[in-house]
Amino acid sequence: MNTYVCRYCRQPSDPSQPTCPLCGAPVDIRESVSDSGWVEQPPIKDMAKLQFGQSHCQIAGTVVPVAEFNLAHGEMVYFSHHVLLWADPATRLQNMSMRGGWKRMIAGLPMIMLEAHGPGHIALSDNHAGEVIALPLQHGQSMWVKEHRFLTATGNIRYDWNSNDVWYVTGDSDEQETHYPMGQYGDIFTATDRPGMLLLHAPGNAFIRDLRQGESLLVQPSSLIYHDMSVRVHLHLEYPRNMGFAFWRNNWDYRNIMVRLIGPGRVAVNSIFERPEAMEAIRNHSYATRRRW
Amino acid sequence: MTCGAPLDVRDKVSDSGWREAPRLRDMTEFRFSASTCQVEGELVPVAEISLSPQDGVYFEHHILLWKDESVPLSSLPTNGPKRTLGGMPHIVTLANGPGRIAFSRDAPGELVVLPLHPGMELDVREHAFLLASHSIQYSFVRIKGLVNLLHGGSGMFMDRFVTAQYPGLLMLHGNGNVLERTLKPGEKILVEPGGFLYKDSSVGMNAVQMPLKTGFMRHGMYLAEMTGPGRVGIQSMYHHHGSGE
Repeated sequence: MNTYVCRYCRQPSDPSQPTCPLCGAPVDIRESVSDSGWVEQPPIKDMAKLQFGQSHCQIAGTVVPVAEFNLAHGEMVYFSHHVLLWADPATRLQNMSMRGGWKRMIAGLPMIMLEAHGPGHIALSDNHAGEVIALPLQHGQSMWVKEHRFLTATGNIRYDWNSNDVWYVTGDSDEQETHYPMGQYGDIFTATDRPGMLLLHAPGNAFIRDLRQGESLLVQPSSLIYHDMSVRVHLHLEYPRNMGFAFWRNNWDYRNIMVRLIGPGRVAVNSIFERPEAMEAIRNHSYATRRRW
Repeated sequence: MTCGAPLDVRDKVSDSGWREAPRLRDMTEFRFSASTCQVEGELVPVAEISLSPQDGVYFEHHILLWKDESVPLSSLPTNGPKRTLGGMPHIVTLANGPGRIAFSRDAPGELVVLPLHPGMELDVREHAFLLASHSIQYSFVRIKGLVNLLHGGSGMFMDRFVTAQYPGLLMLHGNGNVLERTLKPGEKILVEPGGFLYKDSSVGMNAVQMPLKTGFMRHGMYLAEMTGPGRVGIQSMYHHHGSGE
């Protein structure tokens, strides 16, 4: 009986292979854990193969990796047209059904997406230096993913969205502006019928961490990649202590806007994120904890 | 002449036949003519050339990173002022030896070293060439056909590098990772036009419309159909020509 569980994708896997056949993580390397508990997600080895159904995906390159699919007959992946790098003329490309288009648009995915049907080859790549992350999902398993991190998914992975409910309002009564530091909506992917494969692209390097029940952590909102559905998220505002200068700005742009993640569950962040803009005072916000130093 | 590729690594070829450009190791040094080139850095690599007195390299002026004071620069007209209309510089800069000079483009990626033997012709996407040795003839080809111009995603011109009697060295910068495939006669492959990097001049390239609609306005989708025989090089990071993304 196979008792090996990949420490990165958390699925029963095959330790006799050089890389996990489900997520591509190297099997033969030591876990790289920082003193504070972050586990560095090892980049998928160049030319590593991932198996899903009768098809497989090969990851080529290390700077802006390419996901090259060899699709078996009757199997398909869906993706946004702007990540398509090349295709065999034999691969059948078609527009995805418009059903669910509104959901896709709300969730930050393109309303019009493409499907590639096997048999045939097709390759996809994102436009940023970073890592491809493979998330094999068991039947019924769901995952929250930050918008614009999606690269592709197998046909049996259903997507939905939820409101992130992390926001704040700046400006005076005439010109108010609502900000969504981790996007207004999040993508939720669920494997239906059978296990499926979800591929994400993370700019920079990726790190994962397991939060215990009730354990919390503050992170930059835009650095999130994905988290388990059991992880709760809310806004956190932190104001550095006034050291006697710039007192008039103390409540304004001298602040850190973070999100608090509360376990249990797995969270992943990437090392490239958008720096929050310096802005006016916050007039209103979603539920938040505050800290004034 | 060598290309600096490590000799102690396995050839990396995907199942569908794309070969990864060999990733040059930091501080790799190789020779061309009587000069040497050293590649520094791995994320945004720099090509540092030590030119001998009888050698020269030419390049687009804005990719010059640094040079010795003693290295003379001159302009090399390409007889193509109309290229300016297509966004290409119509003058390239020539640096002659002796002395040191270094080049880099400003995007994460790979340097592709292409030693050209006499009698070779290579077409390169505009703004992708880093430098070429003075023995290589530089010209351009206008992309023909309205569909190719409007939907090909490769602009109005491609750089063409030709070697006559003497070999030469051509270096390109590919954004992201660079992959190459050799097509057999008549073999076809569909490539995102923004991903095209270089090809042998024997490879045909035509924009073809796919039976697909994209974007909110339901635009048609075009891909570049490459037809062998010959080599095709692609880059994995690119600007999608249809969406500006």
